[in-house]
Amino acid sequence: MTIPAHEYDPEKARSLMNEVSERSGQNLSACYQCRRCAAGCPVGEETGYVTPDRLIRMIALGDRRAALENELVWRCVSCYTCGTRCPNDIQTARITETLKKMAKEAHLEPLRPKIADFHSSFLESGVRWGRVNEMEFMGIYEMKGALKNMKRKDFKAIAEELKTQTDFGLTMLKHKRMHMGLLMSKGRKEIQKLQKKAKKQRGK
Amino acid sequence: MDIAYYPGCSLKSSSAIYDVQNQRVFEALGIHLKEIPDWNCCGATSAGKVDDFLAIAMPARNLGIAEATGLGEMIIPCSACYSRTLVAQCQLEKNPELKETINAELSKKISGKIKISSILEVLLSAVESGMVAQQAQKKLKGLKPACYYGCMQTRFPFKVPVPDNVENPQGMEKVLKAIGIQSLDWSYKTDCCGASSAVNDEDAADALMARIMKDAVARGANCFVVTCPMCQFNLDSQQNRFGPKHGIRERLPVFFITEILGLAMGMGVEELQIDRHLTDSTKLLKELKLI
Repeated sequence: MTIPAHEYDPEKARSLMNEVSERSGQNLSACYQCRRCAAGCPVGEETGYVTPDRLIRMIALGDRRAALENELVWRCVSCYTCGTRCPNDIQTARITETLKKMAKEAHLEPLRPKIADFHSSFLESGVRWGRVNEMEFMGIYEMKGALKNMKRKDFKAIAEELKTQTDFGLTMLKHKRMHMGLLMSKGRKEIQKLQKKAKKQRGK
Repeated sequence: MDIAYYPGCSLKSSSAIYDVQNQRVFEALGIHLKEIPDWNCCGATSAGKVDDFLAIAMPARNLGIAEATGLGEMIIPCSACYSRTLVAQCQLEKNPELKETINAELSKKISGKIKISSILEVLLSAVESGMVAQQAQKKLKGLKPACYYGCMQTRFPFKVPVPDNVENPQGMEKVLKAIGIQSLDWSYKTDCCGASSAVNDEDAADALMARIMKDAVARGANCFVVTCPMCQFNLDSQQNRFGPKHGIRERLPVFFITEILGLAMGMGVEELQIDRHLTDSTKLLKELKLI
């Protein structure tokens, strides 16, 4: 799972620890491995051996690869239970949120591409129009998934997803929960300008 | 009383019924919701996972617009929008440099401080003033609700002043008590429904929703009452998916708190649009002779 003790490099470990602490706004070195976070994690059964305390330990050991590529980083639902219960006020969900971004910057293929595609499609729609359009962003999300399945020649998955989404869409229509018009805010220009400015600053 | 109102995207699309209900119920309580002009998406949980800067900048623009209305308080009924806006406000206060960077591009700049309130905070003040008891006089006998809060009413990614008990909030119970409804005591009121993982990680979300549902059923609940549109949508739309998978035969209506209040105020099913739920909700109301 993670690096053996004799490969531990204090310099590397410190730099990873500092990077994650700074970007997440959390003091990771305060963790004393009491595991209250692990006890409360609602997706604990889905994430295998990786619990929030172990994720912090991977970072403390400087194991960048293990910290960036594991089920918890991707399947964390950001419910913030771990952070609420931490006696040392570490919001571990902020760490998984930070590691997702670091994985993307390191050009690593997301362990759960559907989850990555969902959040990027959602935010892109919000920035593009100023408001999120459910039909549009779900369409783009589904297209991204279909393209990945196409590359794998997994036509069964494409057909299944199409059927699931069509059935769901029809139920939504029947109960008048589907919105057809386009939501827009003129303020999207200000948001887009801010996004550009922040990107430029980060690039420096 | 006038109060600024941020509906957010879902109240203008899949949860448009909640927008309508908020307008009607608060109007009846003498609270006029003034939708802030040209608001934008708050970024929701996705911004926190994709772009930390936008996670603050998007709600920041709305804060500037809200302040420009001159009103002292803004109600945000959607839990995610409420959480993101409150967090952005607190983060900006702590970080003047970031505030300056964002303000530079905003036509309505953030300067002062407008109080950001959840729907429960505003409802609780209406309970205290006696308006709820005065306006909602119809007794809704037979409802045994499990009040479900989900994550974002009491747990936040950064430190903010939390308006209720984090692990055992009581806001919804207090509001329902004011109209004579006794809610059930149960264990999963602040557990996560899975939110967007209902779409992108189905098995994980189904397991979460099944746990919530099983406890509610075991305690004898005949409905859920919620304030969050995401929780409402997930529990309302996915019962036929996670139910069979996890051996749950029961189906429970998932009411917005505004629906219960509206009914107690004498409003009808169509007026409140309760007939637009994906899990049938009018059957129970008919059985209990409430409609």
